[in-house]
Amino acid sequence: MKKYLMICMVCIVIASCSKNLLNEEPKVPTGTQFYKNANDLSLASTGLYALINVAFNQMAGFATCYGGDDVTVKRTGNKYSFSDFDTFQPNSSNDRMTNWWSSFYATIKSCNSMILNYANASATEDEKNHAAGQAYFLRALSYFFLTRTWGAIPLVKDNIVDYNIAKSDPSDVYALIVSDLQNAEKMLPDSWNGLGSQFQSGVNVAATSGSAKALLANVYLTMAGWPLKQADKYALAAAKAKEVMDNKAKYNIDLLSDFRNLWKKEFKYNNEAVFGCYYNPNVPNAAWNQWNMSGPNSTQPGDEGGWDDFFGEINFYNNFPAGSRKDGTYQSVYFVNGAATDWTHTALKHPYFQKYLDDDSYNKTTHVGNWAGSHTVFVVRYAETLLTYAEAKAASSSPDATAYAAINAVRNRAGLPDLTPGLSQAAFRDSVIAERGWEFAGLEPAARWFDLLRTETVAKANANRNAAEDPLVGKPDDNAHTFYWAPIPINDKQLNPNL
Amino acid sequence: MQKLTSLLVLFVCFGMQAFAQQTVTGKVSSDSSGAPLEGVTVSLKEGKAVTLTTKDGSFRINVPENATLVFSYIGYSNKEVPVNGQTFVQVQLQNGTQNLQDVVVIGYGTQKKSNVTGSIATISSSAYKDQPVVNVSSALQGRASGVSVNSASGAPGGVVKIRIRGANSINSSNDPLFVVDGVALGSVSFQDINVNDIESMEVLKDASATAIYGSRGANGVIIITTKSGKAGKMVLNANGFVTASGIKKYDLLGPVAYAEQANYIAGTDVLPNPQSYAGKGTDWQDQVFRTGYTQNYQLSLAGGTEKSRYYISGYYVNQSGIVVNTNQQKIALRSNIDSKLSKKVSIGLNMFLTNIQSKNNGDLGSKASPVTSSLTWAPTEPVYDDQAAGAYNRYAISPIGPNPYMIAKESDNEGKSNTAVVNAKLKWDITDWLSFNTNVGVDANFYRSGYVNNAWINQSSQSSGQGYSDNYTLQNSNVLTYHQTFNGVHNLSVTGAYEQTSNKYSGFNADGGGLTSLSYGYYALQLNASQGIRSFYSNWSLQSYLGRATYSYKDKYLLMATYRGDGSSKFQSTSNKWAYFPSFSAGWKISGENFMKDIDAISNLKLRGSWGKTGNQAIAPYSTLGLLTGQQYSYGSSTAYQGYSLGNPPNPNLKWETTTQWDIGLDAGFLNGRLNLTMDYFNKLTDGLLLQKTIPSYDGGGSQWVNLGSVSNKGFEFSISALAVSSRKFSWNTMLNISTLTNKVKSIGDQDIVYVGYPGAGLINTSVQVVKPGSPLGAFYLIPWEGVYKQADATLGFQPGDNKYKDVDGNGSIGYEDRVVIGNPIPKLQFGFNNDFTYGNFTLNLFLQGVQGNKIFNATYAAVAAPTSDIKYPTLAASANYWTKTNTGSEWANPASKTGRSYVESTHYLQDGSYVRLKNISLSYLLSKKIIGFGDISLSVSAQNLFTITKYKGFDPEADTQGNTDIAAGIDLGAYPNPRSFTIGINANF
Repeated sequence: MKKYLMICMVCIVIASCSKNLLNEEPKVPTGTQFYKNANDLSLASTGLYALINVAFNQMAGFATCYGGDDVTVKRTGNKYSFSDFDTFQPNSSNDRMTNWWSSFYATIKSCNSMILNYANASATEDEKNHAAGQAYFLRALSYFFLTRTWGAIPLVKDNIVDYNIAKSDPSDVYALIVSDLQNAEKMLPDSWNGLGSQFQSGVNVAATSGSAKALLANVYLTMAGWPLKQADKYALAAAKAKEVMDNKAKYNIDLLSDFRNLWKKEFKYNNEAVFGCYYNPNVPNAAWNQWNMSGPNSTQPGDEGGWDDFFGEINFYNNFPAGSRKDGTYQSVYFVNGAATDWTHTALKHPYFQKYLDDDSYNKTTHVGNWAGSHTVFVVRYAETLLTYAEAKAASSSPDATAYAAINAVRNRAGLPDLTPGLSQAAFRDSVIAERGWEFAGLEPAARWFDLLRTETVAKANANRNAAEDPLVGKPDDNAHTFYWAPIPINDKQLNPNL
Repeated sequence: MQKLTSLLVLFVCFGMQAFAQQTVTGKVSSDSSGAPLEGVTVSLKEGKAVTLTTKDGSFRINVPENATLVFSYIGYSNKEVPVNGQTFVQVQLQNGTQNLQDVVVIGYGTQKKSNVTGSIATISSSAYKDQPVVNVSSALQGRASGVSVNSASGAPGGVVKIRIRGANSINSSNDPLFVVDGVALGSVSFQDINVNDIESMEVLKDASATAIYGSRGANGVIIITTKSGKAGKMVLNANGFVTASGIKKYDLLGPVAYAEQANYIAGTDVLPNPQSYAGKGTDWQDQVFRTGYTQNYQLSLAGGTEKSRYYISGYYVNQSGIVVNTNQQKIALRSNIDSKLSKKVSIGLNMFLTNIQSKNNGDLGSKASPVTSSLTWAPTEPVYDDQAAGAYNRYAISPIGPNPYMIAKESDNEGKSNTAVVNAKLKWDITDWLSFNTNVGVDANFYRSGYVNNAWINQSSQSSGQGYSDNYTLQNSNVLTYHQTFNGVHNLSVTGAYEQTSNKYSGFNADGGGLTSLSYGYYALQLNASQGIRSFYSNWSLQSYLGRATYSYKDKYLLMATYRGDGSSKFQSTSNKWAYFPSFSAGWKISGENFMKDIDAISNLKLRGSWGKTGNQAIAPYSTLGLLTGQQYSYGSSTAYQGYSLGNPPNPNLKWETTTQWDIGLDAGFLNGRLNLTMDYFNKLTDGLLLQKTIPSYDGGGSQWVNLGSVSNKGFEFSISALAVSSRKFSWNTMLNISTLTNKVKSIGDQDIVYVGYPGAGLINTSVQVVKPGSPLGAFYLIPWEGVYKQADATLGFQPGDNKYKDVDGNGSIGYEDRVVIGNPIPKLQFGFNNDFTYGNFTLNLFLQGVQGNKIFNATYAAVAAPTSDIKYPTLAASANYWTKTNTGSEWANPASKTGRSYVESTHYLQDGSYVRLKNISLSYLLSKKIIGFGDISLSVSAQNLFTITKYKGFDPEADTQGNTDIAAGIDLGAYPNPRSFTIGINANF
């Protein structure tokens, strides 16, 4: 009896002494074992879109654009951080702008990883190029927004954590943006039709070669303005925009015939989107990146149950030309205490934007919305490519017939007559800038603020501020460029003294 | 039965040396009631003779001359009676709450209580028998010095945070190790154990006691021993009680005052005609909270023979929570069986099974939860848009969260948890001096969850889903013990063991969207238009070798040394996986010395000290590998496509965190054990802390695990228990324990400061806690608020009536750069004071518990008082007293000011968390067997958390949103409060 027990005991002990007991076996991918095949590349590309979606699914990041003359907010409640930019008194503790700072850099982190590792995957040339092309595109897009907002920023191209990195000048940042987009336009397909989930309802949801060219045209146009002021970039911008216009059929893009359709929920997928961020909060177990909070609740007046996050400046609204575009841009009917009325009878007495209202989450009977919407964010619209071409062509050579054709296409679509022919270069340019302001009013990613920055007209545009608005506290200066750039967020400044 | 005992005694005596033997008989009874005690162990102090008393309390034992008899019985103090030539001995035993047992369970063995050199506190089940305890944490709270129990949530089965001698770790878990009958719990929560099955709990506090648990001992160990049967007559115990609970409300504005203030803040009539709301509107706290009822029934059977003993118990708990539509039901069954197979071999099998069903029981700490929303929703808003049609008022003018009553009533989240703790042990006494013990244990948890979100919960798309997980921990320990006495004075004991533990946790979730029919609950997932699945898996394992040697000389000079080597799967490379933990301790039983023998007043005096190392590896498995983060993207469609993005960077060099602790203590007993005192001073230093170092946003954010920094915990523990008054009719038993704690971060490597993550983004927008050398863990980091301006401040641009903040860095503006370290979330002092008064058949129990010296960041208060949150207009009654030109003395700033700022992240919302709480007051009446005939029945009526003395302005100074963490402890954001309860109960013993 004793013996058998002893033997049993020893057996148990030996059998349980397995050498592999202490080895971990995670059943999910780890960073060092990824990017090995086509499937990995595809999973990584999908991940990139999930990251960039978070930059545009709320108004927080756009706080830095409130200095434009198209948009304002009331300085009360929880809107102080928006108001700080509107009244030119932001500080580095601003809690809204951090959304852009962290979301764009989070995207850059995963893009860097893809760019450094994709070449070793065992996959076809096309599969590799398509994956890397998307990483280059999204990295360029992220840096484009970051440098226009903050100016000199850390230029991170790898995944090594560096607590001492110094800021890079905008010229270095733009050099990377240009080289990334040049890679992207070569590596991305012309269209994703037939390639998978990136083509939905006849529209390219993921970036295409056309998206890269269009963005590059916009980048060149910005480089021609402040702060770089490289006038040779106008010609490059015009040429690039022309490539997109000439090949629009290949890229499945074109202007929509009615401006108001852009904002209707049936047109969630439409061909004017050169690149957009798409949302659907109703997928099973939807995470935050699938929800779009820039929707009814955010942009409706408090009288209708909204949050008054922003609304139109009165003078800009009054100077906005009437037409189908104005009808599609601003809300025309407001419901105050259940009765239909106009904007002068709302509590805050400002016109509100229509662009974000039509969404599955918006109840047309009660005029109340749910804040989890599925509105598409158009990061680059074909209308912008046309206007970029018009401005760049006029500045690099002269306002010729092609330039006029481009701006008129946008104007006619907006319900406006053709632009006065025979304008001087300066007058034509001013017309295009004004046209852009009306086309993209109300915090679209092609924000008015960015146009004011590159044309050095921030103070000039804000000089015409209506007395009914909250008064300006800081005084922007178009020569000294004060308040042009946002302060670096304090959380990173405290980790890295070189910022 | 008696014959056998006598025969045994005879044989034993035969084997002893031939001294003059005599037979002693006697009777043992209870001192307080006079009733005879059956089953009392009567043993010979200097030898092996032992017997038990019979039904009438009588016994018979053969002893040599000058023998001393020792009487011990559960629930009573031990008594030693020198025979002194008597042939008949009459003994009365007194009720006692301490020193009940001769032996104390220490890791992998037992030791005589008087010989223990480590710092160990024993809590026996009789300590809380007058308090209606529902779970283990209630039994522990306030009963042992140095043990802090924080009931962070009042939800049925809510999170409890237990800390022994403070928190060592910054990012890894600070939970102590729970060992139930030799099996360390890995998959099962200690809260699932039936507290009525517990015989005693030993809390191992210092290194010499915990080092034997090496790897997981750094946070202290709580050893739970469950009841086992006793040879003799079967004992049946039935127990039932019913409790009613309710909370204390926040003082909020009524609808008229709210409307008036909202109009003032907005500068326009957002709520026209405020007076029209008089008598209407909604009290949201009344809507969301209700009286919760708990029923608890328990039945146990214990008995056995000399060969086999059993203890069987079952219980049923039905608890409805204080938030509407929340409840939990528990059923459990335990069977403990011990059997002697032969003279040398005995086996045991303990099985515990429980089934727990919960509804809507998730901890609700968030700014949109029903608990927070019940405070922030405008009182002017109605609950329904159309009550007859059941149409709720979904969104109000205020906060981002939907109608709290709607969410509470319409939520349908169910969880069914099945837990099993099984352990089988075998003990083989190979020889007199060598024994072998093997123990195989499994603790497993099988969890099923299901939810249905109807159109009220998710406006655009109904959905349902289910989840399943199983979690197994398997442990096998093999222990060899050697024990020998040399020359009657040298006592040596050596133990060696090998142990192996492994855990697997895996499961999956099936979620849907676009559910077409609610008729089938969550049982028809296929009716979801879009479906998604995901699964998870993790495992970890541990391998250990350990040894201990104990030596005592003449039972007066005591020495102990332990050594343990542990290998963990959570680190990479062999040198990082393995760590070694030694400890030493010594003790001097001063009361055993000759010069102390004449001092009758001092019955026990022992001085002890210890030093040792323990380790911590309580981070999640795979933390060092750099896992990718799963993402899903739909491209706007109704399918969610899987993607991955880069996660946190890997760290192959990560290793164990070690804690070095030394302790010096004094145990003293006076007046024959009537008064007992224990004092300890401890000093712990934790090094190579497992820390999550924040990565800057420009590098993608996130964090990286590193070994960096050290934290120290120092303090005093003091515990006194006394039978203060003991007469025939009246007795008063009291126990007081006090402990102090100074927690300080000593270093965090080359960093000056680590910012801690925060909840409630949108309300709180930056870290409000930091880890900084020289400050306690999780010290608050806030902008100093200095009241309200009386005069304008030109430099900073503020007007009278604006909030006044200190511009700490002098840069001319107020912002997050002006935060300073201020306030400590960890209490400096905590105490428990338990009193039992017995008068005749009545017993009154008064149990006070409290903490002192900590602060709480009351984010809930900020949410209802500050207009900068996601809530537009304040609801707090006190905020209506805001500054105006005629009311300049107010502490509340002018909410309509155009120049003013309001920072939630300021000391304005940092409140004093100290409290003294009457945890339990109960009165019970005993109907003894003498009166009824068939058993003892006791009836009791009691109240829990009856009143609390505190300056804290929130629901409950004990509740904590962050539940179980330490660096982020002390934030109250919709934390579910611990309710005040009233209970009536009945307990019967047959």
